[in-house]
Amino acid sequence: MSSEQSFTLAIPDADLDILRKKLELVRLPDELEDANWDYGVPLADVQRLVARWRSGFDWRATEAKINQLPQFTRDIEVDGFGKLNIHYVHQKSSAPDAIPLIFIHGWPGHFWEVSKILPLLTSSSEKSPSFHVVALSLPGFGFSEAPKKKGFSVAQFAEVSHKLMLALGYNEYVAQGGDWGHLAARNMAYKYPEHVKAWHTNFPFCQPPSPLKNPFLFLRFMVTPFSKRDWAGIHRMMDWVKNGQGYSGIQQTRPQTHGYSLADSPVSLLAWIYDKLVAWTDDYKWDDDEVLSWVSIYWFSRAGPAASSRIYAEFHKEPSGVPPYTSVPLGISYFPKEIIPVPKLWTRTIGNVVFDFQHEAGGHFAAYERPEDLVDDLRSMFSKERGLKLF
Amino acid sequence: MPHSEKPFKLSVPDADIDYLRKKLEFTRFPDHPDGMDWQYGVPIENVRRLVARWKDGFDWRAAEARINQFPQFTRDIEVEGFGTLNIHYVHKKSEAKGAIPLLFVHGWPGHFMEVSKILPLLTSNAGHHAKFHVVALSLPGFGFSEAPKKKGFKIRQFAEVGHKLMLALGYNKYVVQGGDWGFTISRNIAYYYGPEYVKAWHTNMPYTGPPTFAADPLLYLQYLVTPLSPQDVQGLKRNEHWYAEGRGFTWIQQTRPQTIGSLLADSPTGLLAWIYEKLIVWVDHYHWTDDEVLEWVSIYWYSRAGPAASVRIYYEYYHDFEASQPPWSPVPFGASHFPKDVFYSPSLWVRALGNVVYEVRHDVGGHFAAHEQPEILVDDIRALCELEVVSKEFDY
Repeated sequence: MSSEQSFTLAIPDADLDILRKKLELVRLPDELEDANWDYGVPLADVQRLVARWRSGFDWRATEAKINQLPQFTRDIEVDGFGKLNIHYVHQKSSAPDAIPLIFIHGWPGHFWEVSKILPLLTSSSEKSPSFHVVALSLPGFGFSEAPKKKGFSVAQFAEVSHKLMLALGYNEYVAQGGDWGHLAARNMAYKYPEHVKAWHTNFPFCQPPSPLKNPFLFLRFMVTPFSKRDWAGIHRMMDWVKNGQGYSGIQQTRPQTHGYSLADSPVSLLAWIYDKLVAWTDDYKWDDDEVLSWVSIYWFSRAGPAASSRIYAEFHKEPSGVPPYTSVPLGISYFPKEIIPVPKLWTRTIGNVVFDFQHEAGGHFAAYERPEDLVDDLRSMFSKERGLKLF
Repeated sequence: MPHSEKPFKLSVPDADIDYLRKKLEFTRFPDHPDGMDWQYGVPIENVRRLVARWKDGFDWRAAEARINQFPQFTRDIEVEGFGTLNIHYVHKKSEAKGAIPLLFVHGWPGHFMEVSKILPLLTSNAGHHAKFHVVALSLPGFGFSEAPKKKGFKIRQFAEVGHKLMLALGYNKYVVQGGDWGFTISRNIAYYYGPEYVKAWHTNMPYTGPPTFAADPLLYLQYLVTPLSPQDVQGLKRNEHWYAEGRGFTWIQQTRPQTIGSLLADSPTGLLAWIYEKLIVWVDHYHWTDDEVLEWVSIYWYSRAGPAASVRIYYEYYHDFEASQPPWSPVPFGASHFPKDVFYSPSLWVRALGNVVYEVRHDVGGHFAAHEQPEILVDDIRALCELEVVSKEFDY
């Protein structure tokens, strides 16, 4: 007997009123002349977005769009954490040999990042593989419950995602993820290799080969010069290290202190997330309502926005979140404006790379910015021609 | 030549007080899983209690009256490249002959009222120790001073403001004291304006890395051959912990002050948590009353430029790091080490900062020394200024 219930997003009117009242009472910061993006989100952007959010932005229209995706909730038991009620999108393909795929988001992402790739993945065609798609809200994000105890980290993200697939009857499946979704999928491939037949990532998070752990790769690494693209990526990484990781610095050490403002101030949450929506994308032309829809999912999230930052602290405190090399087949899509674009050679330390492709455009939110590219990669990785013997 | 000094009385408009209360009424709190202790940030019981008090019970007008017991003024100070900034400060003269003018420089999340406990002691005419005229400014962008409008207002500019204020008040010879940013700024004031104007400087947060060959070859050699004491080892371990766990806020403030600015400006609860964490984590068994905390945070909430302006100093410092560390200066320098302050520096390293003529290590006290241990800090300041090398500059 399953606890699955169908889910329709319907934020109570009272919550919309509170948001509006807070936006009416908003107090904005001052700004230096000619600051541009040098010091963070420009005030003009914040003013414009707040004004729109307060009056003009139609949350109910966004809700209706979200509700076009078939959504459900069900209880998943997590070792040591009891039952968590998990929210997810689940759309089957009509193709008889469709591949079950779980899409795992990160921060500041959410389940709805699947919205553009879902119709493409589930569509049925003679020429390319089809997928049954599951996209969950990670615990503490979107409309899933948050864990009630500390210590809930990427291993638990993996456990929840895996158990969800099993509960849906998918004994064998593939996983796709970026950002925290990368680490979740990576843990799943490592821990559940009989079930995870392959995994794919657009966020190959790794270090250079080490002489101890990857001796052959290390030797190759020593003699292989960096390509121009490698160098561009390394510069981008160094810039992130020097100027771009403040958000992770505070979230990994004091998520609760910071969480008070995320929970209490919509403009604080807006600035915090919008910073990344712009900095981490490749010239994606965000529409104001698109931004506000995105941020509203965080504002109206079931556990509140503070819960979503805690994964940084849990991962920071727990040393074993990055699993060792696994031989489960791995596909990688490289997007040039990813926040830490690593040289290809390094990614061979992650797992058994059977597919990779370097794109010329796109950033961190690949499924949202470049849906066709990402889908093309998945179709190519799992095409009959490639002959990955999965199922 | 006319000056722009005006007496200042803190008087926040009723509308602002009402506005704060309205916002507090609408506070939305985060969730708070079990076992979430200070390791993750400020525990929710503290914040709920403080917010409830701030909304009903905390009397800002009474706090204002207390603050207004200190003689305050504003005046325009011209800053090269930045035009005129209207600067707020406390200024109390001692009645004693030969009193030494002292500039007190606060840091973040501090403010001018950190001088409140030491000022009566420093300016008092009683006793046979050194007496002081005390000036405690609100740094530009803090408290009730204007904030700069242009980018690039660096430590050098903060130092310029402090110095010009002292000159404007008629103090051609003075000493300067500070911790936190007050340390960095005092150091710069001493280097750039001493020994001609600045006759001594003192800090309660001597913060430095190890000596480098480039800066001071002899000291560097000494550093190479001098073993660390057990106290040094322990202290440096504490620093490591700080680097790993304690400086998330500096990371975000030095890279994205405008993004975090929305947090500080819009949510009183968010601002409260952001500051309160430091008031608790950085002190040595200091028992804050709730009203004391709320008075402290309210100064940020009601600040003239708004709280977002206060964190830009981190950005400017980070983007101009080398220039913010002036070379060694011969100006007499006093260093007081407090055990629970944020950084530990071995005594050998401190010699790289300046001409150490006075140094002491205490066994109580934390970051906010002037507020936590006012008598101890005042003793140290007096001891430094009573040394002949300093006192000979004044009639004392």
